[in-house]
Amino acid sequence: MIITNNPAVTAAYEQMKNVRYVEGSYRDVLVEVRNLVHIGHELVTHPLMGSLKPNETPYRSVVVSDEPVQGCHTEAILIIEESIAVFDRFARTARPDRGAHASEIAKRDFREIDLSLLKSALDA
Amino acid sequence: MKLEVGYIPIRDIQFGPTSKVDGNVLYVNQDELSRLLLQDEAIESVALDIARPGESVRITPVKDVIEPRVKVHGGGGIFPGWCAKVDTVGSGRTNVLKGAAVVTAGKIVGFQEGIIDMSGEGARYTPFSTLNNLVLVVEPKQGLAQHAYEKTLRLAGLKAAEYLGKLAADIEAEEVHTYETLSLLEGVRAYPDLPRVGYVLMLQSQGLLHDTYVYGVDAKQIIPTLISPTELMDGAIISGNCVSACDKNTTYHHLNNPVVQDLFAEHGKTLNFVGVIITNENVFLADKMRSSDRTAELCGYLSLDGAIISQEGFGNPDTDLIMNCRKIEAKGIKTVIITDEYAGQDGASQSLADADEAADAVVTGGNANEVIHLPAMERIIGSIDAVDHIAGGWSGSLNEDGTITAELQVITGATNELGFNTLSAR
Repeated sequence: MIITNNPAVTAAYEQMKNVRYVEGSYRDVLVEVRNLVHIGHELVTHPLMGSLKPNETPYRSVVVSDEPVQGCHTEAILIIEESIAVFDRFARTARPDRGAHASEIAKRDFREIDLSLLKSALDA
Repeated sequence: MKLEVGYIPIRDIQFGPTSKVDGNVLYVNQDELSRLLLQDEAIESVALDIARPGESVRITPVKDVIEPRVKVHGGGGIFPGWCAKVDTVGSGRTNVLKGAAVVTAGKIVGFQEGIIDMSGEGARYTPFSTLNNLVLVVEPKQGLAQHAYEKTLRLAGLKAAEYLGKLAADIEAEEVHTYETLSLLEGVRAYPDLPRVGYVLMLQSQGLLHDTYVYGVDAKQIIPTLISPTELMDGAIISGNCVSACDKNTTYHHLNNPVVQDLFAEHGKTLNFVGVIITNENVFLADKMRSSDRTAELCGYLSLDGAIISQEGFGNPDTDLIMNCRKIEAKGIKTVIITDEYAGQDGASQSLADADEAADAVVTGGNANEVIHLPAMERIIGSIDAVDHIAGGWSGSLNEDGTITAELQVITGATNELGFNTLSAR
């Protein structure tokens, strides 16, 4: 299941895959993923995929397993919790023209990068 | 595997009617090189420019830096899988135009590529300010997708470096460096009392615009494997990474990997440099598990006493770095990790996205969030309007007088995680 706040990802994948669109921020996506991981969904892709810093891109897409899986996912829980901590750290140096406040042109590029990273992972 | 690398020092680049090396000057026939590059139909135009150390020049947005090299003998050709067939390289003789580089520039994604200043404050932060750079500004045909533009620019850079490198084929080198890696058994016999040290080289492989290639193969599709360090010197690994200017490994870095150089310098004296293990930094957790498991297994198989692990990038690769470190240490092998930091503009925050108590020996390339001030330059090669958008810049980074206030991460190579940079606490 793809958890995303990127409309380009929803458009590209909703016919093919289970997509949960999050009406909200990069952080809201991470929190949604955390909630799913805590009830047993496996973390499939790394939440900080790509080298774009969390205070630059407003978009985030993360893949988790469609269904909860039995067992204790300590590693996944640590990774998603650390990722939220990283996001909050970067948020302290918020940029007036980045994240949610990025220009429409920059947002288009950020949507494209987020989608293409996900695509190159899923198609590999 | 034994390789001789001959240095032909280049102290200046000039445009001229014939491409050649004369004395320590590299002459480039612009038309001939442009025609060669324009054979790629995806390219609309190519502009060639020269940036020399000390000049008031700013190059941006920088994609890759490549050192011109040529295979004189020993099988294979430079940049196997791209400019040459895939025959194994790393043996025989290679000549290098030392002090020269090809720099590729172009706005692939407007907010990620970096800056090279040839003088002033910024020049201190990038090793490429000390080189004579032939800059290729490549404009793509309209409508070319970003990933296709990346490939076009990547190939143009490699082709130009190959073209220049060939000029060094018949020139007598001023300095010759010899590097030799013994087979496993020979190494054990030759240095029975020296600690066995390996190098785990992590390659950026997160996907589009974040890729690295090994003999032409996308590194995200490799299983960690052994490679001879001299293969790196012949361009077996090249960069397709456009993201995170300060801590990406350009092709120049792979050719001149300082960890390899330092391990060779101590080889047979204080340690036995056993070899290089290359691994990747994929986005799937399953890939991370598999690759770190395989890497640790290889370290164990080689009976290493110590391993140096270098990273490329930030965030997602921090997890690979720590997994590698933890699993290799669990085999009783000491590790040192090389990384850089995003510790906030005040340097007070936690530096990495992941941590483990096994990671108790860390070398840092510096804090990428540090704020720097760059003076105006008389000449811009490329396009300056990207500065407000590149990582570490922000709206208003580019001041009206041409000065720039931004984070260190705007500078190409500033916090390189191989240690190929100039920052130091000394």
